[in-house]
Amino acid sequence: MAINTPLKVGEPVLRWSARAHSIEEVENELSRIWAGHELAPTVNEPETRRISARTSVMNLIVIARRPEIAEHSAAAIQALTGRHPSRTMLIGSVDPDGPSWLDARVEAHCVLPREDAPETCSETIHITAGGESGRHLAAIVAPLIIHDLPVTVWWPGEVPFGSKPAQEVLGIADRLIVDGSTWSGDGLGQLTQLAGLLGSTRLVVSDFAIVRQSRWREAIASIFDDPDFLPYLRSLRRVAVTYATHDETGAPASTNLVKPVYHVGWLASRLGLTVVKPLSTVSGPSPSSRAGRAAASKTTMARGLVAQLSDGRGEVSVVIRPVLSTMPPGTTLRVELLAERRGSELRADVTAEAETVHVRVWQDGVEVLDRRFSAARRTEVDLLAEAIEASGRDPVGSGSLRAAAALVGRNEGA
Amino acid sequence: MAGKTVVKAPGAANATDETKASAVAASAVAAPIPGVKPKDQPRTMKEVREAREGKRASRAKPHENVLREGLRLERVADPAILVLMGATGDLAHRKVIPALYQLWRTNLLPHEFVLLAVGRREYDEETFRKEIHASLAQFSRVLPLDVAAWRSFAERICYQRLDFADPAGFDALVTRLDALDTERGTRGNRLFYLATQPSQFAEIVAQIGRVGLDHEHHDGGWRRIVIEKPFGRDLESAKRLNREVGKVFRESQVYRIDHYLGKETVRNLLVFRFGNGIFEPLWNRRYVDHVQITVAESLGIESRGAFYEETGASRDVLQNHLLQLVSLIAMEPPATFDADALRDEKVKVLRAIGLDPASAATDVVRGQYGPGWVAANKVVGYREEKDVDPTSETETYVAARLMIDDWRWSGVPFYVRTGKRLPKRATEIAIQYREVPHRLFRDAAVDPDPNLLVIRVQPDEGIMLRFGAKVPGLGMDVRSVTMDFTYGSAFNVDSPDAYETLILDALQGDASLFTRADEVEEAWSIVDPCIEAWSTEPAPDFPNYDAGTWGPAAADALLARDGRRWRRF
Repeated sequence: MAINTPLKVGEPVLRWSARAHSIEEVENELSRIWAGHELAPTVNEPETRRISARTSVMNLIVIARRPEIAEHSAAAIQALTGRHPSRTMLIGSVDPDGPSWLDARVEAHCVLPREDAPETCSETIHITAGGESGRHLAAIVAPLIIHDLPVTVWWPGEVPFGSKPAQEVLGIADRLIVDGSTWSGDGLGQLTQLAGLLGSTRLVVSDFAIVRQSRWREAIASIFDDPDFLPYLRSLRRVAVTYATHDETGAPASTNLVKPVYHVGWLASRLGLTVVKPLSTVSGPSPSSRAGRAAASKTTMARGLVAQLSDGRGEVSVVIRPVLSTMPPGTTLRVELLAERRGSELRADVTAEAETVHVRVWQDGVEVLDRRFSAARRTEVDLLAEAIEASGRDPVGSGSLRAAAALVGRNEGA
Repeated sequence: MAGKTVVKAPGAANATDETKASAVAASAVAAPIPGVKPKDQPRTMKEVREAREGKRASRAKPHENVLREGLRLERVADPAILVLMGATGDLAHRKVIPALYQLWRTNLLPHEFVLLAVGRREYDEETFRKEIHASLAQFSRVLPLDVAAWRSFAERICYQRLDFADPAGFDALVTRLDALDTERGTRGNRLFYLATQPSQFAEIVAQIGRVGLDHEHHDGGWRRIVIEKPFGRDLESAKRLNREVGKVFRESQVYRIDHYLGKETVRNLLVFRFGNGIFEPLWNRRYVDHVQITVAESLGIESRGAFYEETGASRDVLQNHLLQLVSLIAMEPPATFDADALRDEKVKVLRAIGLDPASAATDVVRGQYGPGWVAANKVVGYREEKDVDPTSETETYVAARLMIDDWRWSGVPFYVRTGKRLPKRATEIAIQYREVPHRLFRDAAVDPDPNLLVIRVQPDEGIMLRFGAKVPGLGMDVRSVTMDFTYGSAFNVDSPDAYETLILDALQGDASLFTRADEVEEAWSIVDPCIEAWSTEPAPDFPNYDAGTWGPAAADALLARDGRRWRRF
């Protein structure tokens, strides 16, 4: 039923809410929203400008395995009502062995872009499916999709890539959004499965973990905007990425490594580097651990992972190493580059603090650049918006993912 | 042109690395690879084949920062000094400096960037920076100001006192710029921005030439100049100014700014027309009945009485904004999206508009507002405004019927109008389609209106299509309904200000959205006959429209004689 909520510019409000217990009832409720006088547009009445405009630019399907994930995702999507209006379906399944049932809440959220503009509304359908229905998510989603609009699937958390429900849902999708930095363990197995989708389907893949790194990419790329440093770009010899861990052993499997690996994947894909030796664990304790923290703690910190890349003329060594830090595990703390060209050396050190990325460059030991970029961390809403806005194939993102998977070197198969 | 901000055409995002690589390789076969020294070009059949196969990709791209691909800017502007002439003036404080601050805040300017503010007033640098800070606090698009961004931006603001009539001042400017190049690493790249009174343009350009600041260095130091409108006040003065500028700068170094062209929706016109397949086939005399373009302002002349007395609506809006919109709507698709291809097509449209003093007398209407009510406020008439002659004959409104004499538009009138103190602020382009050839629904209670496509430039940017639909029920009534796309509802994002877009383009050497000398002259050749015709007519019966109305009755008559009427807003 329609809900009369006072409108404030830029703040989405709930304007319609109804329950349904079958797909047919959901369809009926969706029709009622726009047929009712409360929300329907008025034609030929310019004096009543504040009408509700139904706007959809896509179908957004969120696979929410738990109710709290659904609520969290719904909040992010609601914030995008005015920016990326969509028909959103938040789908969860419960009690797989019980009888089949379906419960849905159909809502319309509206936002007033400006005082003198019409409201923009979009629909959200929260669906919980029980029993066998919950194992056939695609059958629930398919009839509710708005024709001819792209279908984006946002899959928070682990994606069961090989499972039938996942294959069915991804079969009707144009784009898959994941967040690799939330995957369990080191996350690299899921990463290679995700990369496998690129070759086997037309699906476009967006990983928040890649999108989130754009401030790093801007900062690193800016080094080589300087014509004096640009020639070194093709003579990279070492890439080192330092990441945060809370595990005193620093064992690679204990921390999600997706973000550090993507940094190397991005550089490798942009520079056309090929993998000579995939990532492997370095044995023996870290020198820094021996010197410092190990003295305070008896545990010895692992030295991380190493790999070898090649640019066709020489090898590029890769180091991905852990450091105990209060930052969330898996967060990139530093990217270091070393390039050598005609006897000259360029060393770059990129670090990030809260809202700033700091770039320092030394040429033959002399500091030649010290620049701070004001670059805010992105919220989940920003990440979702950016992932959605990257229309069509994203050659940089998919290139980074492919190169990262090659660097991992595991054959997980999607 | 080595590169520019990449505005990807629809579909371009689908280009894969492989297709790009093969495109580069393919171009290697037919033509030298841009940015690659002659000695590095593929020469033998083997080299050509390897280039095609991408094996020599690393050799073909040594001068590109490949890490930029996919980022906001695929090429950043070179290190440079922006020399802002007239830095203490209104335009600089309200528009140019806030745009630069915003570009800096969002990391779109190079690290080695200097704003050398040049003005006649005596300032020390700290005082000038404080004044800029106060202006930004008032005019910045994004508030509150970012403290860290302001601090680093302020470090890049320098002030140089200069009397434009004093040659010695320009000699000192050379010394200062050379010193800044050394201190700040700006590599001799300089963008001169003339935000001064138009009467000073020629003098400043001549002085820049005299001291050799226009000379581009062989080692890459470029020199460009941005000139604000109005560019001349008639065809003769525009030609004269072009000549003066041309004595010093090559045309490729000159960026004549019309901020309308930097507006998001105006730029979207190009995407709308040439990025969609369904509209272009209907974009011609066969389907279009007429076109209406309205640039309406509810404001009066504010505090610009003296300026407006010498300008009027024809010079202020018709000669530039309105004719730019006409040319973008009427132009043929350019072969490429480079600056000259685009401007060549726009110039062809302007050349095809035939307006002589005789037709100007019948096809152009002028008006001046009297007292009235606008938005529930009582306002004075133009002649009562400050710094305005009480018997002024300056037009605050102009409407024209323009005919474009070419294959596509022959016989299709373009009605354009602009005015001050109209009921509301609105800029819209309306393509009115022809009626259906045969009235099938004769029994309908209301004749369906012909289809209408409206492109709203401001406010509430968007596109509206009107079409007929059956009224539900047993009868066969047809009523017009609208399909409305509001830009803000699909892309509710923070669009850059036109000045941000244009300044960044100028720094990157992309002149697509700037007007060329011949374009300016062609536009004046359309406006000049109107002004000439008016000068031979008796004194106009001004004021001839009340503030808060849609202009003089003669403007309605202009369309009524063709059996048409202005759209109701």
